Amino acid sequence: MAEHLIETRNLYRKFGSDETEVTALDHVSITIEQGEFTAIIGPSGSGKTTLLHLIGGLDEPDGGDVLLDGANIAEMSGNELSDFRRDHIGFIFQAYNLIPVLSAEENIEYIMLLQGRPAAERKARVRDMLHTVGLDGLGERRPAQLSGGQQQRVAVARAMASNPQIILADEPTANLDSHTGISLLETMRELNQSLNMTFVFSTHDEKIMERATRLIHLTDGHVEKDERK
Amino acid sequence: MLILKLAFRNLFRNTRRTLLTCILVSSSLVALILVDGLVLGATDIMIGGITHTLEGEAQVYRSGFRDNLEADLYIENPEPIMATLAADAGVMGYAPRVLVGGMVASSYNTTGGLIYGVDYRQEENVSLIREAIIEGSYLTGGDREILIGKPMAELLEVEIGDRIILTAATVNTNDIAQELFRVSGVFEFGPDEMDETYVFINLPKAQGFLGMENHLHQIAIRFHDREDSRNRQLPLLQSLNQGNIEALGWLDLQPAFGAMIDMTNYSTAIVGAILFLLTSLGVINSMFMAIYERIYEFGVAKAIGTRPGQIISLVLVEALLLALLSCAAGIVIGYLANHYFSIHGVPMGEFEAAGVAIRGNVETRVALYQYINFPFYVTLLTLVAALYPAWFASRIVPTQALQRAL
Repeated sequence: MAEHLIETRNLYRKFGSDETEVTALDHVSITIEQGEFTAIIGPSGSGKTTLLHLIGGLDEPDGGDVLLDGANIAEMSGNELSDFRRDHIGFIFQAYNLIPVLSAEENIEYIMLLQGRPAAERKARVRDMLHTVGLDGLGERRPAQLSGGQQQRVAVARAMASNPQIILADEPTANLDSHTGISLLETMRELNQSLNMTFVFSTHDEKIMERATRLIHLTDGHVEKDERK
Repeated sequence: MLILKLAFRNLFRNTRRTLLTCILVSSSLVALILVDGLVLGATDIMIGGITHTLEGEAQVYRSGFRDNLEADLYIENPEPIMATLAADAGVMGYAPRVLVGGMVASSYNTTGGLIYGVDYRQEENVSLIREAIIEGSYLTGGDREILIGKPMAELLEVEIGDRIILTAATVNTNDIAQELFRVSGVFEFGPDEMDETYVFINLPKAQGFLGMENHLHQIAIRFHDREDSRNRQLPLLQSLNQGNIEALGWLDLQPAFGAMIDMTNYSTAIVGAILFLLTSLGVINSMFMAIYERIYEFGVAKAIGTRPGQIISLVLVEALLLALLSCAAGIVIGYLANHYFSIHGVPMGEFEAAGVAIRGNVETRVALYQYINFPFYVTLLTLVAALYPAWFASRIVPTQALQRAL
């Protein structure tokens, strides 16, 4: 077990070039521990999503390092990084991003198929996940046949299906109504507490901020304030 | 299994585009099958024109005879050869012949000619002399019978029953011999060279006229299976190739024609290559459209741990399913079309190739390999064409792809 579950060291990321160059992250160094329910907050363009994507290895930094459970993701090959994401990180996106030709069950099962888990184990896990996110009986529906809230619940179930150490959620409630958002957040908080699963949100949703145990304020690519409750 | 399921469902997400791509691929397959069927059909006609008209599918003769038709180079003992041919089950027929250059004269005119002494019965299994008769009658074994071509008849100003004088040098002695014949039939094969210069008389008469006893210049052969005529290693021909006797199939007897047949095969390959190139561009375009349309899905798939190799596999399986679907349609349509044209023919007008006149419809030929090899090539090509889009999809950067979903 490494000292920190997530560690960024002088993380630097810019977009564009010359006159259009924008610094999205300017030497950001943070650490996040196992079991935290952390929200990265800040105005639009402050670098929240960029930081989340870099932590998840979805993007490459222009400088600095990301260490997940002690492993430097910059040193991983393409396949190693894919396997690391598959086994250790769950993603929840603002736009749900389910695979439309697969049913809710199949979307949840997909990642376990990549892991090569036995069919019986997969089916049982899918049932558990659907129950956990409150979608019993809706497993055979395709994303287009589900509401936004239901789709996001499927996305949460998919993210948790591989039993990852970390769940990275980018504005997960942005497209949901208030009631659905709160319900989903409560579900995630319960999972965090019962399974000691680490959640990192990128958000400016007050509901998430209220429930988060730690708030990392980003402004213009800098960590302005790191507040633990 | 998941990849197969995903690929299958993805294929039918945009049914119209999938169908259009299928039509493109299957049309190429159908076109290739028909072009090949037509080339085979035309080739059959040309080969038939060369071999069945008169030459035979193979010939036995004495070494050197074909170089200048030197009359002294005859087969001295043809009986064992004919016995071998008669005993071979693969031989449909053989025709013993003598042939020599000479003068053909009527009361009004004279011309050079190639005199064939033929066994009129055995010729019916080998050549089309009887079928080429347009006036008078075929040989019946009569001593003075002679068949001449229509242009020669016009040149000599003769009709059925008129007298013809043949003049030729006898073998060995080179004495000048002359014989009187009466025109019993006029033929028209088509190619000018044959109609203007060839004359046919009965074999015993020719042998006597030329002082050849029972010797022969040539034995033409026709096989039951046309492929035997293309087989340079055919045991029968090899067994006859002994001493000063040569036995060759038409590929060696007519090397220029064989080369032309090879060229027609190349033409099929060139047509196939052009069709394949156009098809592959269509497949690449279609696959790229499908990938761009689902770029965020590839981003998500990569984000949650799908390896680049698995993305490549997914795109290639989609291409494989597309190819299999197209080939299934192409095979059915191609077979039906090829079968139809093999009965009714394709109107090709009139043309002459390699000395063979082709008139009317050319019937296509249906061959099994057209429905095995060509679909295999089309499938392979579709997969090759999908490689670049697949590689592109595997290189999609998740963050860039996900931004498109917002």
